[in-house]
Amino acid sequence: MRTFWPLLWQNKVGLIGFIGLVFYLLLITVFQWMVGFDNEVKLDQINSPPGSRLVLLTRPEDKDSYTKLQDLVGHKVGILEKSGAPTFLEKSNVEGLEVETYRWRSGRGVPESLEALAAGEVDALIIFSKLVRRYVLDPSSRDYKVSLSHLTVSNPKLGPALLLGADTQGRDMFTHVINGGRILIITAIMAGLISTAIAFILGTVAALAGGIVDRILVAIANFIIVIPRFPLLIVLAAMITLNNWLLLATLIGLLAWPALMRAIRAQVLSLRERDYVEAAMALDLSRMHIIFREILPNMMGFVVINFVVAITTAMYDQIGLIFLGMAPINDYTWGVMLYFGRSRGTLFNIDSAAMLLAPVLAIAFFQVCLVLFSRALEEAFDPRLRGAA
Amino acid sequence: MIQSLSGPVDTRPWWQKLVQNYTLRTFVQSLFTVWAVITFVFFLIRLMPGNPVEIYVNYLMNTENLTYQDAYNRAASQFKFDPDASVVQQYFVYLGQLLRGDMGESITSTGTKVSSQILRYLPWTVFCVGSALLISFLLGMLLGMLAAYFRNTWVDNVISFLASIVSAVPDYIWAILILIIFGVQLKWFNVGDMRGTYDPATPPGFNLPFILSALQHAILPITTYVLGSIGRWVLAMRGSTTSTLGEDYVNIARARGLKQNRIMTAYVGRNAALPLFTLLAISIGFVLGGSVIVEEAFVYKGLGSFLFWSISQRDYTSMQGVLLIITIAVVFSNMLADLLYSRLDPRVRVTGDK
Amino acid sequence: MSEVVLSVQDVSIVYRVSRGQVKASQHISFDLHKGESLALIGESGSGKTTVSLSFIDMLPSAAKITGGKVLYTRDGKTENIFEFSEARMRDFRWHDCAMVFQGAQNAFNPVLKIKEQFLDTARAHGWRDKGKVIKRTLELLRLVRLDPERTLESFPHELSGGMKQRTLLALGVLLDPQVVILDEPTTALDILTQRAIIEVLKEMQSRLGFSIIFISHDLALAAEMADRVATMYAGEMVELGSTQHIFYEPLHPYSLGLLQSVPRLSQDKDELSSIKGNPPDLIDPPSGCKFHPRCPFAQELCNQEEPVFKEHEPGHFAACHFTENVIEARANLWKKD
Ligand SMILES: Nc1ncnc2c1ncn2[C@@H]1O[C@H](COP(=O)(O)OP(=O)(O)O)[C@@H](O)[C@H]1O
Ligand SMILES: [Mg+2]
Repeated sequence: MRTFWPLLWQNKVGLIGFIGLVFYLLLITVFQWMVGFDNEVKLDQINSPPGSRLVLLTRPEDKDSYTKLQDLVGHKVGILEKSGAPTFLEKSNVEGLEVETYRWRSGRGVPESLEALAAGEVDALIIFSKLVRRYVLDPSSRDYKVSLSHLTVSNPKLGPALLLGADTQGRDMFTHVINGGRILIITAIMAGLISTAIAFILGTVAALAGGIVDRILVAIANFIIVIPRFPLLIVLAAMITLNNWLLLATLIGLLAWPALMRAIRAQVLSLRERDYVEAAMALDLSRMHIIFREILPNMMGFVVINFVVAITTAMYDQIGLIFLGMAPINDYTWGVMLYFGRSRGTLFNIDSAAMLLAPVLAIAFFQVCLVLFSRALEEAFDPRLRGAA
Repeated sequence: MIQSLSGPVDTRPWWQKLVQNYTLRTFVQSLFTVWAVITFVFFLIRLMPGNPVEIYVNYLMNTENLTYQDAYNRAASQFKFDPDASVVQQYFVYLGQLLRGDMGESITSTGTKVSSQILRYLPWTVFCVGSALLISFLLGMLLGMLAAYFRNTWVDNVISFLASIVSAVPDYIWAILILIIFGVQLKWFNVGDMRGTYDPATPPGFNLPFILSALQHAILPITTYVLGSIGRWVLAMRGSTTSTLGEDYVNIARARGLKQNRIMTAYVGRNAALPLFTLLAISIGFVLGGSVIVEEAFVYKGLGSFLFWSISQRDYTSMQGVLLIITIAVVFSNMLADLLYSRLDPRVRVTGDK
Repeated sequence: MSEVVLSVQDVSIVYRVSRGQVKASQHISFDLHKGESLALIGESGSGKTTVSLSFIDMLPSAAKITGGKVLYTRDGKTENIFEFSEARMRDFRWHDCAMVFQGAQNAFNPVLKIKEQFLDTARAHGWRDKGKVIKRTLELLRLVRLDPERTLESFPHELSGGMKQRTLLALGVLLDPQVVILDEPTTALDILTQRAIIEVLKEMQSRLGFSIIFISHDLALAAEMADRVATMYAGEMVELGSTQHIFYEPLHPYSLGLLQSVPRLSQDKDELSSIKGNPPDLIDPPSGCKFHPRCPFAQELCNQEEPVFKEHEPGHFAACHFTENVIEARANLWKKD
């Protein structure tokens, strides 16, 4: 271990992974404490395009007259009912602001309101950013209407300055991304611990005991290994109600050990030949002593690397389950964000990219960091790999 | 002083040859595994606390106001078991049915055979997963070899780094990224048109429009599977090529004046690829597992999305059937990979193990 | 003496490493005659492999040839090997000069039949007539005393270590090369197999008439095998002469030291001595004669001036300032014999 830090420093790729992991650690501790979870539902309806930002749309001649909400006082302002806008206006508390509402039903309200603006029925429109593009600014779009082409965006960022926009309920997505990792990461670590521990214990026992015990354990491992883990997991999840994270971690851990167990068994078999282990066995020291005092310290590197790998596996499994809605979704995690993205159709909404990309990237980057870090560990523990990229 | 050779001459009696025949042994082992899986899944479904039969019986009692006995009989007819028989008897009956290819009836769509459902969805998944594995295996080997030849240069650094990243990101995350970025944002393709397995306007048959349409619908899942699995092939091939390049026989082949092409393929490539075949089976299971989510994300009607559908409908007979088929597919691909491996590595054929 | 096949002239090779340059071979010169066998002896790390690898352009990428030339003569035509084009070099390998490396146990591709590997070699050098190649292969396998048909149809793992080595020798002469380089061909083989291989090798040489460069640190084998012997120390050739010269009338203290480190039957056990000290650092070698820090005969001059590699009697070269002292010492040492 003493040589680990200099080696990590040399291994730039591993260093990236390590720094990334430190960042995630901060995320689930410090940042989380700094950025609270925005749980205030701001829309009475939940079917507006999430993740959208409000913009102010005007006729060109008024382009520079209205840039703030204040400028709109005394004018007729159009607004879409089922969007974040009404709540937003309510909160912004501008006195004397009069609004005209348009029903927004599957996008129909947008052209209606635009036409009203073009015809001069209203002076300005508070509307969503990208939908406008389709009707007004993008001539290649199917929905583009020449009659509306003279409308312009006066203030492109009227809405609250939410870094990633709002979710389907008008809540600040950024706070969700910051807060959505803790449970996942903790569960993944627990599952990783469980599977690594099982693999280590069974692998060592099989190798040391030999004979029939060994044969049975290996047969079980070989058997579990052929059943594709993820389908089995969802079938099991369909029968056991996974309503708490510990249960989920245990289930994942229980299915993930066989490959590692076989590897550890092979390692212990070769360690067994070494003098100190033979000596310990000759002295008739207890099994526990041999396992934890003689063998574990010599396999620490290997076990640690595989623990890190086990975390990535657990992360894959649990987010997959959540994405399909087969694991607890009460706690708001990155996985749940994806689940809603799928189940509420935001996946296919052009305005919702941020809402899905944020958790997707958070997950992807976490996995990448783990893998890069585990490769750095591998090089640190295995001198033969040193110098290789 | 001519030395005697033991290897090539086979003096074993015929029965020993049969028992030690590698192909036969692998096949019998696979059959045994399949039987074990069938048994495992059967008892899992029957004996779990709150097992599906019980759940279904309760469900029928609640929704249709049946007595326990009626509900139980109804459940029995759908799960295809004799309600009066013990679980062990049921098990043997079930085995018998399976041998005849009968997997019972779907619980949710009464009257539909699970086997016919599976036959309907399986080919699409086999097509997607199979071609994806082929592409990623070949491409991954190529890139891995390239990285090994240029090891510790920028070529290697770029390939290895990208491979690490690609292998780290879960396949369903790739699916979502592809959908969001290329489908929804950049609009390179119309996501809506690519749902399903083929365009209903082109009836299935061996004609160009149908094949094109099937390819068009499969391209996104295939890309996803390739992205999800290629990284591991690259890294594995890089490692094994690096060690093969250091082998004496490669140096001697150069000293023998063999052409570079011949050395790359028959000497380095073939030997370096050998260890990858043992990974193939694991990879098949992994990609098949991922297909549940990937097919769901792309609305591709294959076995994976059928499994998810039956799970969300609590259609236990279908669930059981699909899980079995997927496992059998993995076991037999495993076997094929083993046999292929033994074709490629003469050392395995003789000793019978790796 | 017969015509010269390979004339090595002042060849120097270094390895570039982070600490500087490893001077693995310095100013090596010797002639290899048709049909003779020349043994290169010396401790491991003395540069034997490096020199011979340069003949077939198979040095590791860190190596650099800093000077000299190697003239190769076939059918009266003489060319400098270091100036070969890539294509010419590929054909030169094995067809003109076959080199069998250390550790030949793993010399065959494990997934191809022996037959395939013979055919591969022939094909690479334009021998298209399969029937002829097989016929010659069978002859050669018989010559190395293997069961030809069976060996041909075997996979490498079906052959024992000695059988592999014989097969490799047969493969080595398949294309009728003029020069065969054997780098420690018998290490990792048991003593009986070693003997058998040497016998086979000699017989092949007498039948086919190729020249051999035999690299070894086993002096007994070298003595048995070679017509002439060259001693290498720290990247330099320190002595070259007939086998008789080197083993019975050595002129260089290092050669003498090597001989003394081999147990002689007549010698008492406690008299057995090996050379004291360690081989020098080739990045920063000692000044003057590189052997002087370990040399029992060293004087002030040895530290200052590098001895010239010169002919002391016909065909016997050595690089030492005080050969007369060595002659005297060896006379005293071996009186008892
Ligand atoms: N690839 C290399 N890089 C750096 N130094 C090397 C390399 N190969 C050999 N050497 C050095 O060159 C010297 C000669 O090695 P070698 O020719 O293998 O000696 P021998 O064959 O006599 O044992 C040794 O000191 C060795 O350390
Ligand atoms: Mg050597």
